[in-house]
Amino acid sequence: MSTSPLTEKHCAEDLPPSIGASVVVNGRYLPPPEDEDGKLWVRTSALVLKDAQTLYEMWRNVEAAPRWQEHIVNVVETGATTSRWSMKTSNEDDAKVISWESEVLADEPGVRIAWRSIGGESDNAGEVIFEEAPNGVGTVVTVLQEFRMGKLASTWETLVGRHPKQAVVENLRHFKALAETGEIPRTQLDPHGDRGVIGNFKRSSYGETVPTPTGGN
Amino acid sequence: MGLVEEVGPEVTNLKRGDRVVVPFTIACGNCIFCKKKYWAACDNTNPNAHLMEKAYGYSGAGLFGYSHMMGGYSGGQAQYVRVPFANVGPLKIENDLPDEKVLFLSDIFPTGYMAAENAQIQPGDTVAVWGCGPVGQFAIASAFMLGAARVIAIDRFQERLDLARSLGAITVDYSEEDVSVLTALKDLTGGVGPDSCIDAVGLEAHSNELQGIYDVVKTALFMETDRPSVLRQAIQAVRKGGTLSIPGVYGGLLDKVPFGAAFGKGITMKMARPTCTTTCSRCWSALRRVRSIPATSFLTTSPWNKPRRCTKSGVTKKRK
Repeated sequence: MSTSPLTEKHCAEDLPPSIGASVVVNGRYLPPPEDEDGKLWVRTSALVLKDAQTLYEMWRNVEAAPRWQEHIVNVVETGATTSRWSMKTSNEDDAKVISWESEVLADEPGVRIAWRSIGGESDNAGEVIFEEAPNGVGTVVTVLQEFRMGKLASTWETLVGRHPKQAVVENLRHFKALAETGEIPRTQLDPHGDRGVIGNFKRSSYGETVPTPTGGN
Repeated sequence: MGLVEEVGPEVTNLKRGDRVVVPFTIACGNCIFCKKKYWAACDNTNPNAHLMEKAYGYSGAGLFGYSHMMGGYSGGQAQYVRVPFANVGPLKIENDLPDEKVLFLSDIFPTGYMAAENAQIQPGDTVAVWGCGPVGQFAIASAFMLGAARVIAIDRFQERLDLARSLGAITVDYSEEDVSVLTALKDLTGGVGPDSCIDAVGLEAHSNELQGIYDVVKTALFMETDRPSVLRQAIQAVRKGGTLSIPGVYGGLLDKVPFGAAFGKGITMKMARPTCTTTCSRCWSALRRVRSIPATSFLTTSPWNKPRRCTKSGVTKKRK
């Protein structure tokens, strides 16, 4: 924790230490960071009824990420802390695939993982923390993710699929379903009649066209 | 309700040919809400959870044959239905009770039964039920099962009121001239009001009062989404400190709900979609215990194939 020059005043407060994805610092609720300077931030959390170590191991197994992360095509470990990620940029089968190298910055088994991209076609960083729920039942998984992306690009993605922030929320939801039940329920393969112009627009803008990850191999 | 045609590799408690009832709420069985037996609030079964989160704050379970907000699952009344988490939801029927008795365990019987449970009925209580459709009928039967001494049923369709009377209820036809529901309920309770009120109508209520026109206009202009005339009436009608149970579905934003009356009388309001899977098993034991379940009579007495007098507009005329 850094010492603030303000502490010379008797009523001064300590500057917050680097707290990563934490939601509570010194008993106070900390709101998520605001978007600025071309950086988007998203923080989301889920109560998962599994122990922290199991969830940590699931998250740390990066090569299995395509099972529960939307649009991720494959992930290859390239070293002890590095991996190569490939991601589709839209829902079409022949969609453009972008890729980037990722590096694990902090790795505390059962507690937290922090990462950042180190070159490639995506500029992102993130942290996930695993904390026991206040009543001891389950683990609160909190993800803080940051990425650089223009407003135009994020608006376009919202129209044709999901806002990238929402994708982080959905990925955590898939992670929770997979951890708790061993599968990720989906309805995209259900038969249905013609939904018409408005129905199809809604489907697309609500993100229903983004293929739900299968949860399996 | 039907026969199992095929099972997935991890389904352990069902096999091809089993006779099952599948609740319309889809539950994973493993999340915090399923563990608390609140299956309709399952965290994991709604693939479109973000839509419901926007509207309701949190998402509930996926439902067969509901809107896309509840997951967009194909309906359970099709010839074949795909049942996710088949180890959790389906109730195996292993005796010779006829289909038409157990059919309603998938939705309306648990809905009506949970409505009666939510009404917090004490032995000897008077219960008023708005709406004598299937859910209302089951609410009436369940209210008697849970100890109600008198049940007052409110509707405007003769065949429904006849069925309600056959279950032992006193009926009020609100479409009759000179009938005011609030006055009728006071008259039938010595001015005290019903101990519990059950709104088995919900957002598509019809009214023959001025508020009926008001709601039609406001919903047409998208200034409210639901027509809450029964809710308003039930809040007015319930006795001081009484309980209002709401199994009737409400979807969005309601206008002119007399919340001051609810507060001023200190009433309790309980509402929910049924937590089917658990309510189902309580209904199941009730079904085996009690003979006067209205189930079969729906199929035999209700002329579903006839065009209904139900008007889409939400306003009904007084009958002379």
